[in-house]
Amino acid sequence: MLLLQLLINGLQLGAIYALTAVGFSLIFGATKIFHVAHGAAFTIAAYLFWWTTAVKGWPWPLAAGLAVLAAVVFGLAMERFIYRPIQRHEGAFFTVFIAAFGVQIIVQNLIGTVFGRGFVSVTTPLSRSVEVLPGLFVAPVAALAIVLAVVGFTGLTIYLARTHWGMAMRALSENPDLIRVFGLDPGRVAQYAFAIGSAIVVPGAIFTAMTAGLNPAVGAHVMLISLAATIVGGIGSLRGAAYGGLLLGLAENLALWRLDPQWSEAVTFVVLFLFIIFRPAGFFGRPHAAK
Amino acid sequence: MWAYFINLAVLISINAILAVTLNFILGYAGIFSIAHALFFGVGAYTATFVAMKFGAGFLTATAAGMLLAALISLALALPALRVRGEYFVAASLGLQMLAVTIFTEWKSVTGGIGGLTNIPPARLFGFAVTQPEHFLLLSLLALGLIVLVIRALVRSSFGRSLKAIRDDETAAWAYGKNVAIIKTTAVVVSSALAAVAGSLYAFYLSFINVESFVLDTSIQLMAMVIIGGTATLLGPLIGTVLILLLPAALSYLPYLPVTEIGSIQQIVYGLAMVLLMIYRPGGLWGFQDAPPSSKSGTA
Repeated sequence: MLLLQLLINGLQLGAIYALTAVGFSLIFGATKIFHVAHGAAFTIAAYLFWWTTAVKGWPWPLAAGLAVLAAVVFGLAMERFIYRPIQRHEGAFFTVFIAAFGVQIIVQNLIGTVFGRGFVSVTTPLSRSVEVLPGLFVAPVAALAIVLAVVGFTGLTIYLARTHWGMAMRALSENPDLIRVFGLDPGRVAQYAFAIGSAIVVPGAIFTAMTAGLNPAVGAHVMLISLAATIVGGIGSLRGAAYGGLLLGLAENLALWRLDPQWSEAVTFVVLFLFIIFRPAGFFGRPHAAK
Repeated sequence: MWAYFINLAVLISINAILAVTLNFILGYAGIFSIAHALFFGVGAYTATFVAMKFGAGFLTATAAGMLLAALISLALALPALRVRGEYFVAASLGLQMLAVTIFTEWKSVTGGIGGLTNIPPARLFGFAVTQPEHFLLLSLLALGLIVLVIRALVRSSFGRSLKAIRDDETAAWAYGKNVAIIKTTAVVVSSALAAVAGSLYAFYLSFINVESFVLDTSIQLMAMVIIGGTATLLGPLIGTVLILLLPAALSYLPYLPVTEIGSIQQIVYGLAMVLLMIYRPGGLWGFQDAPPSSKSGTA
């Protein structure tokens, strides 16, 4: 029964991780920008949701809408004011990475200064666990997280496969010059990728606020999960990032069967390291992803 | 006041060792390690363990720390450097977080959250270094030696190979350079030398705990290198001095609550990292050498 409980918790956490990692992977795939400030978008959205609902008592749809807006604005601002000026003179991985890291540090400390460094969480009737079977507790949010992850991912896949901008985004990752030939502006396409990739962290941010709780350092954890899931799944594969996130969430929870909770990050690392050793291309990576 | 300056100078020289060794891989080899604080910690805990359990002197304790740091970095670098640069970033981030858990949980060796106290003073040639002034001399000597080693390495054919790999890995490979071995060696050398700083730190404070070896420390070290200037010899030293003087400078500002100084310090160097990357990617001192570029970015 404990195992089943851990499996369900793992699915819920994995769903959250999957959505977050897919956002990171989408941005990386389309723009080749290693957006480590993705965790900052997550932190901003989560804290805004917590502040508007738990502190101000605003209705949650409004709060969720504001969180989406904040994440999208943050993503677009990063693209417009940080990444684009850097890429104008040189597009090195190094400079982009350091700048994004700097933003992550700033956001984490600003939030710590404004909202305090302790743990905060949002309690709703949805996060109260119900005993569905003797000894098996499931909170409605768990089901909601899984459903939303599936819907979100399916929607994104359809968007990328069927719509004009979705196709442009996939094309951008393959060949930026060709985009220009077809009369599209690569900058615009990149902005779409940032807007969608950032918006998609919001469900994960809200569910984390409702379940595990938040602290300002949550961004670093999100960053590790996003990077690990992207590598485990195979760089450049959205499907891979989703499965990678799911696997990490499951592994983290199933490990609780034998280990104490403080080892959860160790489990993430072990999974990541095993993949780097034995299957560096990840689940769905192209065989030559490793150069 | 004198004691304050001595203390600051010792801490600056210890951090400068870390910044210089990090710069060796970050600046010259283009390898992005977020795990430098971990090797600092391994050096500190190992030296303490060897000194307290076996009564070892400074040199033996430091050598033990260097050896362990070298082995751990080898285990990290061998698989993670075979593939793309992003893998090493992720793997080092993961290892750093794992290390913090181990430093906190392995209570019999690391003392857990409480840390280890009453570390005996460093013994060097039968001589106990207890005076802060003498310790400053010792740490400056270590820093000087390490700077010389790094300088010699950078100017050797090994250093030229590193820079060639940083600028174009495929081209270096085509010229017959064994890219994986050269990069791995650089990481091992850098990590082993970082352990020296750990040993100095432990013997100096005679107290260590996990707080000194967390992710934030790794980030601060990275900021020192970047702000000062990557791939220069002086840059990391300048960056170290600037960042370590920052809290003292901030405490002179009025209306600043003391509890927020740590956060504001981090915000300041976060901001400095962002602005430098946009306007001056080579860092403050980085005008002689071109900023490192990696093939992973879009050109």
